[in-house]
Amino acid sequence: MEIITNDNIKCPLALEGLYEVYDPEIGLNVVDLGLIYGINFDDSRKIIQTIMTLTSQFCPMGESITSDVTQSLSSAFPDYQIDVTLTFDPSWSSDFISPEGQKFLNR
Amino acid sequence: MITGVSDGGLQKTTSYKVVLPFYVYGALSFLLACGLLLVNTSAVHSHYFHPQTLAITHLMALGWGTMLILGASHQLLPVIIEGKLDSDVLAYFSFFLAATGIPFLVTGFYLFNTGRILQTGAVLINAAVICYFLNVLNSIFESKKNDVYAWFIATASLWLFTTVFFGLLLVFNFSRSWLPNNSIEYLSIHAHMGLAGWFLLLVLGVASKLIPMFLISKYTNTKTMWWIYLLINTALIGFVLLKTYNINTRFYYSPFFLVLIALVLFTNYCYKAYKVRIRKKIDEQMKVSLLSVAMLFLPLLSLIIVIYFVSMNIQESKMVLLYGFCIFFGWVTAIILGMTFKTLPFIVWNMVYHKRAVGKTPAPKELFSEKLYQIMSVLYLLGFLLFLFGIILLNDVLLKAGAASLLLSAVFYVCNVLKTIFHKPQINGNNN
Repeated sequence: MEIITNDNIKCPLALEGLYEVYDPEIGLNVVDLGLIYGINFDDSRKIIQTIMTLTSQFCPMGESITSDVTQSLSSAFPDYQIDVTLTFDPSWSSDFISPEGQKFLNR
Repeated sequence: MITGVSDGGLQKTTSYKVVLPFYVYGALSFLLACGLLLVNTSAVHSHYFHPQTLAITHLMALGWGTMLILGASHQLLPVIIEGKLDSDVLAYFSFFLAATGIPFLVTGFYLFNTGRILQTGAVLINAAVICYFLNVLNSIFESKKNDVYAWFIATASLWLFTTVFFGLLLVFNFSRSWLPNNSIEYLSIHAHMGLAGWFLLLVLGVASKLIPMFLISKYTNTKTMWWIYLLINTALIGFVLLKTYNINTRFYYSPFFLVLIALVLFTNYCYKAYKVRIRKKIDEQMKVSLLSVAMLFLPLLSLIIVIYFVSMNIQESKMVLLYGFCIFFGWVTAIILGMTFKTLPFIVWNMVYHKRAVGKTPAPKELFSEKLYQIMSVLYLLGFLLFLFGIILLNDVLLKAGAASLLLSAVFYVCNVLKTIFHKPQINGNNN
């Protein structure tokens, strides 16, 4: 799943932290799982808007995962306000898992 | 820095305060039932309508199976119906009423006091089930979706109410004889409404959603689930009519085959979900849960022998005991042992780590001991097989050894449940 961003310099820095945020049940990080759809940096208003999804709208870990994502971005960019928007359109599909993630799940 | 999360329609889960008491009560009931089984193995030599056998059966059916399933269904109902639990208060009421009623009922059977003790238990359990039934119906009516899974849960709840209400009539029939026949004549109707209507329908409905979810499989097939729903309900209604109108016992094969077809369809459903799973590694809890699907065929095997004996007018109490044992200590127990450690760690994880994630937290599966779980599984399977052959061979040594092994597995189960529930928060490997 390709992550849509407007800043190819800051995005890798954001992803570095997000690689440490795991879906506790699956044991895979949110980036390789394909949960992050987009990260937009509004430098003038100092806002980072992240659009993400969950494996299910009824994921019991949903609030914890979004909270982890917020904390991770906040640590990487302490001067920015973090807005995390959950969307289920499109809903998550196993096709979104990265090749590294597929390798991890096939172990 | 101010931050915000727009939840985009993320559904809220049921509070752990509602769910955990059911799990603890269920675990302690399983321990007690195994203890009673060990000290009452001689009851296997008697007719199945025996005080201690009735007490253990009701403790397993209500204290263990129903309480655990009520707890899990309060947690899973929002997931299944894609809505939220209507009332926490009704859930508390159903817990306290059932938790008070079950000891009365079990003691009443154990001492065979068919008066006030048994009647009080039956009334309290009926009140508990009414609270649960109303909560399920209200939740479904308020949810966005009324699909096949919602129908499974609603119909199973209705069968649970029918079972306990019929049980109440049978209890009062002991002392007042207001039914046309003796209570023992109606036992098979009461038992099968509970077994097929409540346990089978609810477990299949919930498992059809949970098994693919835990296997991380996108497989779903509502058409098959509708067929399973229709087959089980038709079989059950057919059986009740056959028994009520005392129709030739050879017709008992018809509901049997309808249930058999439903189970074959369900096994195929699980197999297909398993084949297209994303995560290849299957954990121990899922293995026990999948084993329980296979274990569904054991009671059916004993049931067909029972039907054969009944149709030949041969009294065969041993096979009825075997049938009941395969259901409660086999299928129901296996699925609960497996699913407890798939659902409980999530509930506790959310309780302990809800919105407090700073650093890497343990995964839900790290909240219980995998080692204890493996020992429990081995002891359980060993105990089940020993007791099973103990019933078939009427061998006291096998019965005692089997019951002891089951009791030990219950001890390990309770220890692991308590270890999970009393988990202390650990973030970045440190205790807070």
